[in-house]
Amino acid sequence: MGSKLSIILFSGTTDKIISAGVLSQAAAAMGSEVNIFVTFWGLLSFTKGEKKMVLPKEFENMGPALAQGMAKEHVKSWYEMIKEAKEMGAKVYACSMACGVMNIKKEDLDPIVDDMVGAATFLQQAEGGQTLFI
Amino acid sequence: MEATKIIDSRGAACPGPITDLAKAYRNSKVGDVLELWATDKGVKADTQAWATKTGNEILEVKEDPDKIVVRIKINKR
Repeated sequence: MGSKLSIILFSGTTDKIISAGVLSQAAAAMGSEVNIFVTFWGLLSFTKGEKKMVLPKEFENMGPALAQGMAKEHVKSWYEMIKEAKEMGAKVYACSMACGVMNIKKEDLDPIVDDMVGAATFLQQAEGGQTLFI
Repeated sequence: MEATKIIDSRGAACPGPITDLAKAYRNSKVGDVLELWATDKGVKADTQAWATKTGNEILEVKEDPDKIVVRIKINKR
Protein backbone atom coordinates (compact mmCIF):
# COMPACT_ATOMS: atom_id res chain seq x y z
CA MET A 1 0.00 0.00 0.00
CA GLY A 2 3.06 2.17 -0.16
CA SER A 3 2.93 4.03 3.15
CA LYS A 4 5.53 3.84 5.84
CA LEU A 5 5.97 4.69 9.51
CA SER A 6 9.40 5.03 11.05
CA ILE A 7 9.85 5.50 14.78
CA ILE A 8 12.99 6.62 16.54
CA LEU A 9 12.50 5.16 19.99
CA PHE A 10 14.85 7.19 22.18
CA SER A 11 13.03 7.21 25.53
CA GLY A 12 13.51 4.62 28.22
CA THR A 13 10.30 5.11 30.16
CA THR A 14 7.55 2.56 29.77
CA ASP A 15 4.81 5.12 29.08
CA LYS A 16 6.55 6.29 25.92
CA ILE A 17 7.52 2.79 24.85
CA ILE A 18 3.82 1.84 25.11
CA SER A 19 3.00 4.69 22.70
CA ALA A 20 5.58 3.37 20.27
CA GLY A 21 4.07 -0.11 20.64
CA VAL A 22 0.50 1.05 19.99
CA LEU A 23 1.46 3.10 16.93
CA SER A 24 3.65 0.34 15.49
CA GLN A 25 0.92 -2.26 15.84
CA ALA A 26 -1.77 0.07 14.47
CA ALA A 27 0.37 1.12 11.50
CA ALA A 28 1.25 -2.47 10.69
CA ALA A 29 -2.46 -3.37 10.84
CA MET A 30 -3.16 -0.52 8.41
CA GLY A 31 -0.81 -2.17 5.98
CA SER A 32 2.07 0.27 6.42
CA GLU A 33 5.70 -0.66 6.43
CA VAL A 34 6.99 -0.11 9.98
CA ASN A 35 10.57 0.46 11.10
CA ILE A 36 11.53 1.06 14.71
CA PHE A 37 15.00 2.42 15.38
CA VAL A 38 15.82 1.96 19.06
CA THR A 39 18.49 4.21 20.46
CA PHE A 40 19.88 5.53 23.77
CA TRP A 41 17.59 4.94 26.79
CA GLY A 42 15.19 2.97 24.66
CA LEU A 43 17.85 0.30 24.30
CA LEU A 44 17.69 -0.51 28.00
CA SER A 45 14.32 -2.19 27.40
CA PHE A 46 15.51 -4.06 24.29
CA THR A 47 18.19 -6.16 25.90
CA LYS A 48 17.50 -9.73 27.00
CA GLY A 49 15.81 -10.24 30.33
CA GLU A 50 12.86 -8.99 32.31
CA LYS A 51 11.08 -5.85 31.12
CA LYS A 52 10.52 -3.65 34.15
CA MET A 53 8.10 -0.74 34.31
CA VAL A 54 10.00 2.54 34.42
CA LEU A 55 8.01 5.76 34.83
CA PRO A 56 9.12 9.38 34.71
CA LYS A 57 9.85 10.81 38.19
CA GLU A 58 6.80 13.10 38.23
CA PHE A 59 4.39 10.21 37.55
CA GLU A 60 6.15 7.50 39.51
CA ASN A 61 3.43 7.20 42.15
CA MET A 62 0.87 6.46 39.41
CA GLY A 63 2.53 3.15 38.54
CA PRO A 64 0.08 0.85 40.35
CA ALA A 65 -2.97 2.75 39.04
CA LEU A 66 -1.59 2.58 35.51
CA ALA A 67 -0.92 -1.15 35.77
CA GLN A 68 -4.43 -1.65 37.14
CA GLY A 69 -6.03 0.43 34.39
CA MET A 70 -4.16 -1.44 31.71
CA ALA A 71 -5.21 -4.79 33.14
CA LYS A 72 -8.84 -3.64 33.35
CA GLU A 73 -8.84 -2.48 29.72
CA HIS A 74 -6.91 -5.56 28.58
CA VAL A 75 -4.15 -3.41 27.12
CA LYS A 76 -1.31 -5.67 26.10
CA SER A 77 2.28 -5.01 27.11
CA TRP A 78 4.40 -2.92 24.76
CA TYR A 79 6.46 -6.04 24.08
CA GLU A 80 3.37 -7.94 22.91
CA MET A 81 2.36 -4.99 20.74
CA ILE A 82 5.73 -4.85 19.01
CA LYS A 83 5.62 -8.61 18.55
CA GLU A 84 2.19 -8.26 16.91
CA ALA A 85 3.56 -5.50 14.67
CA LYS A 86 6.49 -7.69 13.72
CA GLU A 87 4.15 -10.51 12.90
CA MET A 88 2.64 -8.13 10.33
CA GLY A 89 6.05 -7.18 8.93
CA ALA A 90 7.48 -4.49 11.25
CA LYS A 91 11.23 -4.40 11.79
CA VAL A 92 13.17 -3.40 14.90
CA TYR A 93 16.70 -2.05 14.68
CA ALA A 94 19.15 -1.16 17.40
CA CYS A 95 21.37 1.88 16.91
CA SER A 96 24.94 0.67 16.55
CA MET A 97 26.53 3.81 17.97
CA ALA A 98 24.33 3.85 21.10
CA CYS A 99 24.95 0.11 21.58
CA GLY A 100 28.66 0.83 21.51
CA VAL A 101 28.35 3.71 23.97
CA MET A 102 26.27 1.58 26.35
CA ASN A 103 28.43 -1.50 25.84
CA ILE A 104 25.51 -3.54 24.47
CA LYS A 105 26.63 -6.34 22.17
CA LYS A 106 24.55 -7.99 19.47
CA GLU A 107 24.12 -11.08 21.63
CA ASP A 108 22.82 -8.94 24.52
CA LEU A 109 19.86 -7.71 22.45
CA ASP A 110 16.40 -9.19 22.87
CA PRO A 111 15.37 -11.50 20.00
CA ILE A 112 12.70 -8.92 19.10
CA VAL A 113 15.52 -6.83 17.57
CA ASP A 114 16.16 -7.72 13.93
CA ASP A 115 19.53 -6.10 13.45
CA MET A 116 22.02 -3.51 14.63
CA VAL A 117 22.33 -0.69 12.12
CA GLY A 118 23.64 2.85 11.78
CA ALA A 119 21.79 6.13 11.39
CA ALA A 120 22.30 6.22 7.63
CA THR A 121 20.49 2.89 7.18
CA PHE A 122 17.56 4.11 9.24
CA LEU A 123 17.32 7.46 7.44
CA GLN A 124 17.41 5.71 4.11
CA GLN A 125 14.63 3.35 5.22
CA ALA A 126 12.56 6.23 6.61
CA GLU A 127 12.79 8.37 3.49
CA GLY A 128 9.43 9.25 1.99
CA GLY A 129 7.36 8.12 4.97
CA GLN A 130 6.23 9.48 8.33
CA THR A 131 8.83 9.63 11.06
CA LEU A 132 8.19 9.95 14.78
CA PHE A 133 10.70 10.65 17.52
CA ILE A 134 9.49 9.14 20.75
CA MET B 1 -25.19 -9.58 2.59
CA GLU B 2 -24.21 -12.39 4.89
CA ALA B 3 -20.91 -12.20 6.76
CA THR B 4 -18.20 -14.52 5.50
CA LYS B 5 -16.41 -14.33 8.81
CA ILE B 6 -17.13 -12.98 12.28
CA ILE B 7 -14.17 -11.49 14.14
CA ASP B 8 -14.80 -11.32 17.87
CA SER B 9 -12.58 -8.61 19.36
CA ARG B 10 -14.81 -7.83 22.32
CA GLY B 11 -12.76 -6.79 25.34
CA ALA B 12 -9.62 -6.02 23.33
CA ALA B 13 -8.22 -2.50 23.66
CA CYS B 14 -6.98 -0.40 20.73
CA PRO B 15 -5.20 -1.42 18.50
CA GLY B 16 -6.44 -4.97 19.13
CA PRO B 17 -9.63 -4.90 17.03
CA ILE B 18 -7.95 -3.34 14.00
CA THR B 19 -5.16 -5.93 14.28
CA ASP B 20 -7.68 -8.77 14.39
CA LEU B 21 -9.33 -7.24 11.33
CA ALA B 22 -5.99 -6.97 9.50
CA LYS B 23 -5.26 -10.62 10.25
CA ALA B 24 -8.64 -11.76 8.98
CA TYR B 25 -8.10 -9.58 5.91
CA ARG B 26 -4.94 -11.52 5.07
CA ASN B 27 -6.99 -14.69 4.69
CA SER B 28 -9.91 -13.07 2.90
CA LYS B 29 -10.79 -12.76 -0.74
CA VAL B 30 -12.55 -10.12 -2.84
CA GLY B 31 -16.29 -10.19 -2.18
CA ASP B 32 -15.98 -11.42 1.41
CA VAL B 33 -17.84 -9.59 4.15
CA LEU B 34 -15.96 -9.41 7.44
CA GLU B 35 -17.98 -8.67 10.55
CA LEU B 36 -16.01 -7.20 13.43
CA TRP B 37 -17.37 -7.25 16.97
CA ALA B 38 -15.68 -4.87 19.39
CA THR B 39 -16.17 -2.94 22.59
CA ASP B 40 -13.33 -0.43 22.12
CA LYS B 41 -14.93 2.96 21.44
CA GLY B 42 -12.34 3.90 18.83
CA VAL B 43 -13.39 1.11 16.52
CA LYS B 44 -15.94 3.09 14.49
CA ALA B 45 -13.44 5.73 13.37
CA ASP B 46 -10.58 3.23 13.15
CA THR B 47 -12.35 0.77 10.87
CA GLN B 48 -13.32 3.67 8.60
CA ALA B 49 -9.68 4.79 8.48
CA TRP B 50 -8.57 1.21 7.83
CA ALA B 51 -11.08 0.76 5.02
CA THR B 52 -10.07 4.04 3.36
CA LYS B 53 -6.42 3.10 3.60
CA THR B 54 -6.78 -0.43 2.31
CA GLY B 55 -9.41 0.31 -0.36
CA ASN B 56 -12.25 -1.64 1.25
CA GLU B 57 -15.79 -0.62 2.15
CA ILE B 58 -17.74 -0.21 5.36
CA LEU B 59 -21.22 -1.60 4.73
CA GLU B 60 -22.69 -0.98 8.15
CA VAL B 61 -21.84 0.19 11.65
CA LYS B 62 -24.29 -0.89 14.31
CA GLU B 63 -24.26 -0.24 18.03
CA ASP B 64 -25.69 -3.10 20.05
CA PRO B 65 -26.05 -2.68 23.82
CA ASP B 66 -23.05 -4.93 24.42
CA LYS B 67 -20.90 -4.33 21.34
CA ILE B 68 -20.19 -2.34 18.20
CA VAL B 69 -20.66 -4.32 15.00
CA VAL B 70 -18.87 -3.21 11.83
CA ARG B 71 -19.42 -4.98 8.54
CA ILE B 72 -16.68 -4.55 5.96
CA LYS B 73 -16.83 -5.61 2.35
CA ILE B 74 -13.51 -6.68 0.87
CA ASN B 75 -13.08 -4.98 -2.50
CA LYS B 76 -9.34 -5.13 -2.74
CA ARG B 77 -6.78 -7.76 -1.91
